This record gives sequence, structure tokens and C-alpha cells, in this order.
Amino acid sequence: MDRRTFLKLSALTGAALGLNRVVSPSSAMSSSAPLQIKPQKMTEVKWINTSCLNCSARCAIRVRVINGQAVKITGNPLSLTSEGKVCPRAHIGLQVLYDSERIGFPLKRRNREKGKGIDPEWVPISWDQALTEMANRLKSLREAAQAHKLLLLYGLNTRSAEDIISRFAEAFGTPNLISGNGLDEESEKSGNWMADGHYESCAYDLDRTQYLLLFGADLLESGKPLSRFLRKWGKLRREKPNRAKMIMIHPRYSVTAAKSDEWIPIHPGTDAALAMAIANVIIAEDLYDKNFVHHWTAGFDLYKKLVLGHYSPRAVSEITGIPYETIHRIAMEFAQVKPAIALRGRGAINWPEGSYTSYAIFCLNALVGSIDLPGGIIYQENPRYKNLPPFAEDPIVRKGKVQPFLDFRGTEKFFNAKVVTNQVPESISKNIPYPIEMAMGFHCNFNMSAPGAGRWDEALKKIPYYVHISPFVSEMALYADLILPSTTYLEEWGYDHSPPGSGFAEARIKQPVVKPYGEAKSSIDILFSLAKRMGGGVERSFGHMGEDSEGFVKHRTSTLMPWKEFLAKGVWIDPKYNYKKYDRIFNTPSKKFEFFSGNLRSLLIKMGRRPKEDLHYLPHYEEANFLGEKERYPFILHPYQPLMTLENGSQNYPWAQEIFLPMHGIGWANLVEINSETARRLKLKDGEEVWVESPFGKIKARVKFSEGLHPQVVAIACGQGHYSYGRWQREIGVNPNGLIGVDFDRISGQAAFFNTRVKIYKT
Amino acid sequence: MPRWGMVIDLDKCTGCQACTVACKEENNVPHGSPEEQKRAREIYWHKVIAVTQGKYPRVHTELIPMPCMHCDQAPCVTVCPAKATYRREDGIIVQDFRRCIGCKYCMVACPYGARSFNNKEQEKKAYHRQDSPPDRSVWGQWPFPTRTHGVVEKCTFCFHRIDQGLKEGKKIGKEVVPACVEDCPAMARSFGDLDDASSEVSRLLSSRSWIRLREDLDTKCKVYYLLK
Repeated sequence: MDRRTFLKLSALTGAALGLNRVVSPSSAMSSSAPLQIKPQKMTEVKWINTSCLNCSARCAIRVRVINGQAVKITGNPLSLTSEGKVCPRAHIGLQVLYDSERIGFPLKRRNREKGKGIDPEWVPISWDQALTEMANRLKSLREAAQAHKLLLLYGLNTRSAEDIISRFAEAFGTPNLISGNGLDEESEKSGNWMADGHYESCAYDLDRTQYLLLFGADLLESGKPLSRFLRKWGKLRREKPNRAKMIMIHPRYSVTAAKSDEWIPIHPGTDAALAMAIANVIIAEDLYDKNFVHHWTAGFDLYKKLVLGHYSPRAVSEITGIPYETIHRIAMEFAQVKPAIALRGRGAINWPEGSYTSYAIFCLNALVGSIDLPGGIIYQENPRYKNLPPFAEDPIVRKGKVQPFLDFRGTEKFFNAKVVTNQVPESISKNIPYPIEMAMGFHCNFNMSAPGAGRWDEALKKIPYYVHISPFVSEMALYADLILPSTTYLEEWGYDHSPPGSGFAEARIKQPVVKPYGEAKSSIDILFSLAKRMGGGVERSFGHMGEDSEGFVKHRTSTLMPWKEFLAKGVWIDPKYNYKKYDRIFNTPSKKFEFFSGNLRSLLIKMGRRPKEDLHYLPHYEEANFLGEKERYPFILHPYQPLMTLENGSQNYPWAQEIFLPMHGIGWANLVEINSETARRLKLKDGEEVWVESPFGKIKARVKFSEGLHPQVVAIACGQGHYSYGRWQREIGVNPNGLIGVDFDRISGQAAFFNTRVKIYKT
Repeated sequence: MPRWGMVIDLDKCTGCQACTVACKEENNVPHGSPEEQKRAREIYWHKVIAVTQGKYPRVHTELIPMPCMHCDQAPCVTVCPAKATYRREDGIIVQDFRRCIGCKYCMVACPYGARSFNNKEQEKKAYHRQDSPPDRSVWGQWPFPTRTHGVVEKCTFCFHRIDQGLKEGKKIGKEVVPACVEDCPAMARSFGDLDDASSEVSRLLSSRSWIRLREDLDTKCKVYYLLK
């Protein structure tokens, strides 16, 4: 007889027999707790302040630890960036930490053959053996004066680990330090740089805003920092006297669109034209902020001429598919409701002309004077960590660091790029500018997250020796010769701060809340011990900044606040923010906000390229270049990031998986979302499996009819389609990045995600 | 005696589902699997549902967070043959796992789909949280260190927090709230005594237009939704 039958029987016979362990007399008497209670045990309960790392927002969190086990994560009320609140990703941290398929020992590959579906035949080895093997290889690279042939890749890491990784690159002598930023929002930064000289994302003073014009910005799913947008959304709606208005311009009816006051579907890739048309209305109606434009901007006349000459709302209505009246109305609202902000998101700017689109949208803010004032665009200040001691520059470093970059940043190809992540596989495969001998990857998973994902597989296969550092065997780790198990953010030391958002500076501590799993070590400690083993200049460059991760964090944050206090509070904040710093905030040739980009002009002149036309320096719209012929591939693929996609390279988390797509009420999958009219025309059946094919690949998934999708668009959520490890993610859903062709914003090197054409047909 | 209720502001809500995850975390609610989702056998004490109306481009989706509504005239209480589910004096509808015979009448009766049946095999220790119950001095007895199988379960308004808070003389609704209220980043949720005119929930209900779900069934539920 099993327990359930027993329970049934006991209830049916009316026997009030308790089971052996369940009822204590007190609770049986009281009506308040009629549930089973375990005998009391000695418990040690702690709340530990640390910070999250499930996306780049890195929110301050508190973790409740009972007898050495983390049981609850919540926000740290002292943090002001998101007012002590966190998004659901933070809670999922428990499943990141207790993921039952993490690795606890260094793993060495026995099978020399690499590839998808090939068993690497991992053999556990000791840390000593692993580090010695690595150090020997690294030393011989340096001895052969080939330091530049080391490639360092990193995804989402703590700021402290990023600092140490870049220190390692400098000390070793390689220029090839590649972050994942080139897959993210480089075109936004580049657009800002053209206007105000800040190669950085924007911060927004959301407490006082009255009007948000969102160009493809899914603030409530993939905004950065997410928790800040979630918190401030509530505030904008109902915690101030006037309820703010939000307008979402996007081909997809996202959660953000559903929560906005108005959703305006737009033809994909035409956001720049819309921004210019809005400027046209504002200027034509004489509603721009004359005081700001007159005193603090340059190039307005050229901009005005372009806008009035080419972007009448009627003409743009044709381009964008948005009715003339709507364009006119939102332009009038944007100019008249103050303060107003125009925001850009990936959907609008991860396009081949992304920098110009970003520039065009950003200029709207200057037009209505929403720059560096309460309720407008603000400029992020970052914590001033203690400077690192100067590093030991030996001849090898001097020779290595002047070698050309593997990703062609700053060259003719990507003249204003800081990092071109998705150029790396081409460079490796074609041995340009030189072959790569060894690579190390820190918490990255580019062969899932980059467009043209398959190219990364080929490139990784070609690298003679690849070391992957991660808590789990991600898809990228499958190509490693050696995997080093790193700790998750809940087991390590570090410091962190959010991407731009709050304006004021805020730093957070990371401290271990539980003991590391198995023999996992933090990335910082791995690099410290590696440097020690390598000796020479590399070891010297790692001196005088603490001996290990804890010492390093203590050293770097000693300028902020006393160590004990930092540990206890978890955050350091400098809440002061000065507005209207117009006399010193613009890093442009004119020292003003520029509608005509002097920065871009001087850069092109420096590079010996001099386009004669003014248009190159002005924000403008260019028809997007689509990959694939329209006749064969009638739809445009729209990959998007739902909130429940974690950014650490894994999705093996049931709490995130089971509620993955709230708009469709399903989890454990992603869907081929298509406008219902279009689907009916194609004679598809809702829920059946279909092929989605682009010129670069095809995938099979279930189709979902949707009323919230532009008729030309096929949307697929990112984050699924893992094939390496994990009971809760392997073989679930598909990865749309495999379908996307490779294209870049030619100014910033930002990977384009949204300009691939596809077709759909029945299986 | 207070009458606990919850107010959810759909205008502030961002549809982020932090409530759903925070609830799973707080109450050790077992997670599901792809197979269980296909058979609609997952366990949620709280879920965000989407209701879509209209045609492209004039479409509207309302994302509605759904805890148990804790109806004053609860159909689940009426139908339960074992008296396993009942209304406490403070209005919270609770489920006595010892009395539940797993007949699922209550699941059929509940108009809100707030109840789940725990199908998990007992030997699957993955669903037991290995840790001991949390600090009783902070949030009171934590009732779910391991799970009971073969019974129906549902949201409790985190009564373990409320009971402990009352014992310590804390202000319920301000210092002590259910986990979903505490962890809502948009601060769209409020909790408190509906019979106390000075409570936050009463203030909101008197100043804004609100609805309750399935008012036609006269369940007199205690979860209110504020509209735009």
C-alpha cells in the first residue's frame, strides 16, 4: 500500500490517525498551521549581501543561507539603481548555483577530433596538471615572440573578472581580447558617440519622465539594466502625480508593447526614417527647444535642411507603413509633453546601418532639449576603483600589442569599432591577419549567441588549443581541449556595477555565500595562479594588487568604503548627480551636441577617407540591406530575447523554462510566431511543425499564429536550442541564430541580427 | 479579525513573472518538466496568464497575475468531501494536506484554476529541498521543507509569514507581506486588511477603478485588480 492509498483509506474510514512523522500537537490544535512540520533542528541562518550575474545588470541581492545552503534570493534594499528590487532572473540564481550538471573538476579532452555530436571523451585531471599544461603552452608562445597569437574571449563576467582578464591580455602581450559586446548594443554607443562623443550606452532619468517613445526597445524583457526598468515602469505609471505615457514602435507585439499605451507596428528596419519624420514635424511646427538647440548644439542648419527636404511624414508613411496622422500625432506629443525621452533598443539598431539609426533617434532627445536634465537623458558615472599598478612591459609585450587586431577594429572595414565579436570566426578560419595558436574563453557561449552560429563551430575546431572556463559544459566548451570549472557568482569574490542606467555611481560586492561546488575556482583565482606559474613579466604584472580574488577585490575597492562596511552593506553609492553640465559634457570638436558629426568627420579624415557629401555625417535613413532574395524568402526573421533567457550561456533552469513565453502561455520551447492572416494565406495549421529556411540554414519548429506580429515578420525567441549539456535544456526548442546571415553595422562593427530573410513551409 | 486581501495594479504590472518565481522559491513548489506541461500537470501556486483580444494591428493582450483568489464564498470549500480545504477566520483559504484525499473536486470547482495536484513520485528527491526550514524568528514556521504527494495544493497568501508577523506585533501589509508582493519589482501588488479603512489596499480600492475576476459567480474573492 503506498502512501496515497493509505491517506485515502484513513480519510475514508474517518480515522484521524496521523502518519508517523507529521503532526505536532500544537499545530493539530491551532487552525493556522495544519501542515506537516519537521522536528526542530539547530539552524544557522545568515543573510549575505552580494550581487547577481544572470544578466549584465548585476543587481545587488541578498541571499538567505541556512546551514550552508542558499534558499532564497531577494533584492538588496540599499541599492538605489532599482530601489532594491530585482527581476525574476535573480531568483533563478538558486538553480544556477545548484544546477545538478555542473562540473567539479578540470576536464581534459582525449578525443582529438572535434565537432558537433562527437564525444570529446573527457578525463578529469587535477588543477595542478591543468594549470601546468596551460602555463607551458603560454610560456612557449611568449618565448617564440608569438604572444599576439593568444586569443582571449569573454562573455558575461563580473567587472572584477573582466578587469583581470584584460590585465592578463596586457601582461601577456596580446591585443586580441574579445568581449561579447559586439553582439549586443555597440551601434547604440556608436550613435551616441557621433552626437555627443560618449562611446557608451545612455542612462535615463526615469523618475521624472512624462513620455517614453520606444523604438524597438523591449525595456521590460531585455532592457539594460532590466530591474531598473521594471521598477521605474511601476513608478512612471502610478507613483507620481501624472501618469507617464509610453509608445512602443516595433514589428512585434512584445510584453513591453502590451504594457505600453500604444503599439505602433513598423516595417522592419525603417526606424531611422520614422525618427527623421518626427524631427520633420517638430521642426516644421516650430516646437523644438530653441534655447538648447541654439546654445548647445552644432550643425542644426544642415540637419534641418535634410529633415525638411527629405523626410516629410507623408513620404515616411510610405516607408514605415505607419499612417501619416499617427506620425504627426506622436511627434506633437513627443515635443509637447515634457520631459520626454526617445529610447532605442536592439530591434531598431542591430541593423547594417544601426549607428545612423541610433544617431537619428538620439537626436530627437536633443531636439526637445531632453539632454542632461531631470527626466531626460543623463550621463552615467561609474565607481572609481583604485587604479591598478602599472604593468610590467617587457619586449614581448611591446612586440605583441602593436600587432593588428584579429577583429579588424579601427581598420578600413570597421573604422569606429571597439570590438567586432562576430568577425572572429572568419579571421580564425582564414588565418587573417595571422593564425591563432591558442584561445581561452571565459563564460562565453558564442556558438549559440552569435549570428551564423555554425561558423564559430568551425573556427573553434581550427584553434590548436582551446581552454574553456565555465561552471558547465556549454556548447562552446564542447570544442575545448581543456575545461576549467569556474565558480558561479554566488561562490566567488568580485565587484560589479550596472551598465548605464542610473546616472549616479553604484558599486556592489560579490562575496561567496556558499562553498564552491567541487573544486571549482573563480576566474580571477585561475588567472592569478596561472600568472604565478608563468613567472617573468606576467607574474610581475599580477603583483601588488592582492594575492587572490579576495585580496584583489579588497585592493580595488579600498577607494570606495571600508572593507567591513562594504561586506555588510553590499553596495557603495554616490547618489549625487549634477544636471545640465552642458559646458563640459560634450566630447565633440565643437564642444556641443552635434547634429552634424564632427567626431565621425575627423575620424574619417584621419583614416584618409573623405566622403564629400554631408550626408555621411548626418543622421539619416538608408534602406536596409536584406540577406536573401525577396522572391525566394518573403519573410524577415526577427529573433528576440524573452525575459526568461538568462545571459550566462545556459538555460538549464526549470523555473525559467516552464514560464518561458508568457505571451503565449507556454514554456520549454520556442515557437515560429507568424501573423495569423499570413499563416492562413500559407495554409498552415496553428501548432503544426514547419520549416523555417534562410539562405544560411533551416530549422524545424512549431508554428504559432499571432495577432501581434507584422505580416512580413517571423519571430522566434532566442535562448533555446542547446545541444550540449543539461537535462532541462538539451534538445528543447531551436536556435534562430543558426539561420541568421553574417552582417555588420559598418561603423561600429555591431553584428546585425534582424536583416535575414526566410521562407516557411510545411514539413 | 482582519480579512486579508490582495490588490494587483495591472497598470503598474510589467508582466515580468517575478511573482511566479518568487512564489516557487518561497514555498518550495516543485518545478515542472516538458512532459508535465504537455499534460497540464505542472504545479503553480501563482501564474501569470495572457488574455489576447482583437486582430492585428489592433490587438490587446492583458497579462494577469493569478494567485489563489481566497474567495469568501469559495466553491472549493463547498465541494471538498474531506473538509481538507477550509476558510480560516482571517479569510485565507488553506489546504490541509493530512486530510486531502486527492479527489480533485476542488480543482474542478475552482473557477480560477488556482489549484494544482501534486503528481510527483515520492522517491524523486529532487523535489525535496534539502535544507532545513528557514529562520522561524523572521518569517515563522516554514511549512514545506519536503513535499506531500497525491494531494491538491495552492497559494496560502504566505500565511506562515503573516502568522509569525502577527505574533511579533509587526504591521502586516507594510513590514510583512507575501513573497510575491515583496519581490514585485514594479511594486504593483499590495496586501492588507480589506476591513481596515486605513490600510493601503482599502485606500487603493477606494481611489481607483477595480475588478474582480468572474464576479458573475459571486465568489466574493479577495484579489482585486486595478485597471488603467
